[in-house]
Amino acid sequence: MGDIGFLLLIFFVVLARTQDDSHVQWDPARLANVDSAAAPLASIAVDVQDKIFLNGKQIGVDQITSRLNAILGDTPTGSRNVYLKIHKDASAKIFEPVIEAAGASGSDLFHIIEPDNS
Amino acid sequence: MKLKRGKLLIDPPTSASSDIAFILIIFFLVCASVQPETGLGQNLPKAETQPDKTRQSQNIEVGISPTGIILNGNPLQVESFRQRVSAELAKKTREADKVVVVKSASDTTYERWIEISQIIDQAGGTLTLEIESQQTITLD
Repeated sequence: MGDIGFLLLIFFVVLARTQDDSHVQWDPARLANVDSAAAPLASIAVDVQDKIFLNGKQIGVDQITSRLNAILGDTPTGSRNVYLKIHKDASAKIFEPVIEAAGASGSDLFHIIEPDNS
Repeated sequence: MKLKRGKLLIDPPTSASSDIAFILIIFFLVCASVQPETGLGQNLPKAETQPDKTRQSQNIEVGISPTGIILNGNPLQVESFRQRVSAELAKKTREADKVVVVKSASDTTYERWIEISQIIDQAGGTLTLEIESQQTITLD
């Protein structure tokens, strides 16, 4: 019984990892005062090589708004939480169009930042 | 006189090892999932295709570059920017006038941009982006 449960758990963990963005390489920026985040419906990441990912899958900046619209659907404002995980050294010419495209879908954007305790 | 030493260590039954592993995995999964993410919320106003020039002129304009900040044409350092932008926003009574138009140099890093964004947010401003669109013109 334990073996079956163990294998099932491994299966679901592997399945879940195909949809997350834990493989994206990025270093978060640091700020003194940060808030706790609510659970997101989607996650956009910009990695160290300026590649853009939506829920772990690489996409182009021109695809962000339509893909987010499909994911968020009719979710009411206030619950349309989208995480932005942008590499701290990314330049404005890369991240500003990403933020603009994500905002155009009516998302409640939340920048993921590490608290700077120093 | 010889003393017989009793067997103190008892091996757990091997059939229980998978159950133990299962419980351990559940434990680590729960520990990993309860770590909350932290950051900064942001609500961007909807983009306007044809910006209203009369309304825009009332808004505060901020320029961000890797080396400095410009508030309504005046170059400032971070601390003085914090004070000035708070004072400017305190003068605004309508929510629509509290929109702060941010224009960044293309080589501005995200870490610097988010720092300035937080200052604007804490001062009560609503950040909006001004992005230069690139157009390719082919001449015959």
